[in-house]
Amino acid sequence: MFFLAIRHLVSRKKQTVLTLLGIVFGSMAFVAISGFMLGFQYFLLDQLINNDAHIRVSAREDRIDRSVAMRDLYGKSSAALVTWVTEPSGTRSNPKIENPRGWAEILGNDPRVEAYSPQFSSQVLFSLGAISANGRLIGSEPDMQVKVTNIENYVLTGKFTDIATGGNRLLVGTGLLKKLGSTDGSTIFVSNGRNRPTPFKIIGTFETGNRQLDDSTAFAALIDVQRLSGQQDEINNIAIRLWDFNRARDVAHDWQAVSVDKVESWDEINAAFLNVFQIQDATRYLMIAVILLVAGFGIYNILNVVVSQKKKEIAILRSIGYEQGDILKLFFLQGIILGVVGSALGLALGYVACLALELVRFGGGPMGGGTFMKVSFDPMIYVRAFLFGSLTSAFASLMPARAAGKLTPIDIIRSGAE
Amino acid sequence: MALEAIQVSKSFGEPPTKVLHDLDFLITEGEFVALTGRSGSGKSTLLYLLGALDFPTSGKILIDNKDISEISSEALHELRNRSVGFVFQFHYLLPELTAIENVLMPSRKAATKGVAIKEFVERAHGLMDEFGLSDKKDRLPRQLSGGEQQRVAIARALAMRPRYLFADEPTGSLDTVNGDIVMSLFEKTNREDKTTVILVTHDPGFAARATRQIKLVDGRMA
Repeated sequence: MFFLAIRHLVSRKKQTVLTLLGIVFGSMAFVAISGFMLGFQYFLLDQLINNDAHIRVSAREDRIDRSVAMRDLYGKSSAALVTWVTEPSGTRSNPKIENPRGWAEILGNDPRVEAYSPQFSSQVLFSLGAISANGRLIGSEPDMQVKVTNIENYVLTGKFTDIATGGNRLLVGTGLLKKLGSTDGSTIFVSNGRNRPTPFKIIGTFETGNRQLDDSTAFAALIDVQRLSGQQDEINNIAIRLWDFNRARDVAHDWQAVSVDKVESWDEINAAFLNVFQIQDATRYLMIAVILLVAGFGIYNILNVVVSQKKKEIAILRSIGYEQGDILKLFFLQGIILGVVGSALGLALGYVACLALELVRFGGGPMGGGTFMKVSFDPMIYVRAFLFGSLTSAFASLMPARAAGKLTPIDIIRSGAE
Repeated sequence: MALEAIQVSKSFGEPPTKVLHDLDFLITEGEFVALTGRSGSGKSTLLYLLGALDFPTSGKILIDNKDISEISSEALHELRNRSVGFVFQFHYLLPELTAIENVLMPSRKAATKGVAIKEFVERAHGLMDEFGLSDKKDRLPRQLSGGEQQRVAIARALAMRPRYLFADEPTGSLDTVNGDIVMSLFEKTNREDKTTVILVTHDPGFAARATRQIKLVDGRMA
């Protein structure tokens, strides 16, 4: 029946091409849209995963409120007997990791950990003369820090590890430098709001492409930041890199169970981003569903018309011994051929479209950084597009094909004769 | 080896209108039968019953002593493929296929059932030559005249060496010359291959060339 199916398709070229176009555009759109959406997602994920820690342990802010005060001062049972004149509120000292040695031991011995870096980061005010900008000062051991994130890749001038050679040295984001009107090599003042401003020398700059980071962040040696804050030997977070970032959530949960500190994996920290990805994916699938639905209806309609036009021929085939299944196959095959050929063409065109998209300049967004559009060529996109295209056509042609199979020769001859 | 109708009735529609009334007859192998009667007399309906394309409302049609209402679907399709050939008033060729491909369609089906078809393919070509179509084998039906198309349809009906040939007003849409050619082909098949021919016609001239006439009046044998 395959040969007759082909003949049918060839004999109505115009219809065949039009039907084919629906499937072609459907799968092409899927490939192109998925290509750039996933390309962008992978790019962002890569940034999230490699520019920051996979797991971050941070000091819990220990809030004091009514229930805590009641528990600590009076015990649980007396709640009804106490009336506060002023409700208790506040936090206990500056947040810090309670047991850094314990963490060092855990992290040093866990085979899942690739590297970790204890940090002390602090909200500070950078100032140069009358100009000031607030931002974040991250103190770390540079040797450990570069193993956890790829900040080194983004260093424009200077060397990341130089922040530890000598006292009070800074590596600042280009945006922050611009804000202060400062230059590489000059000295700026840093204050945490409680102590006198301390001079730091700028020994280098970095630019990640993430403006939020570039406009407000500076790196310094751990000990310098601790001294600045008056919290010697204390750290307030630990950045951890795992061998396998996919296990971050599980690992984080394991540790959280045995620690009072806050342990968060990268996907929990960036939940908002990942939600956006999910919405993007939903939109993408919805769009494709609509395109394919239209294409599917196209096939359904055309095959329905063809079946009714071909009734006489169905009667002939049945009268010379062709069975119900043969007739079903005849029309079902046409749908399959349209689907397979259309999807294949769509994949090819989609691939070309992706190549073209890659040449589109793009940048300047908050997570910019790439100068060209990021496009994914993940084989799964192509597999999916092909499956969607072919299955839609198969599904759409099934009903007309079954209807054609059910026609009996005599019904057709009789209705044709009158 | 014969066709037999036993108390055959056929009704159509709702409420049922009886088109054939309790017909009884026997057609033995090698006969050339003309079914005649006015339009609406039920002769085409009877033809399709005898050819196992349709089934009686009551009574039995026996082809080679087998009740067509009771044989399996598999056997029914094999019967249509191997033992029965049909020619219709409108040739009903498949327009996408060339003349010879049309003629080879039944053997193509037989091949899928494991039948050795070499003999039938040769016969198909032989019939085309015999019917004066040897130079038109690769033409599409629309490139053939009405008479030529009907000859292709007859070749298709005969390609599998059926023992029964059914023709529903095969000359109805042809001029006298072509009609005469078609009748001669039927006579020749009947004479040389001993094919049983059952022909529906209302041309008295053509009917007279049959060895036997069955005349229907309002669904009853006259």
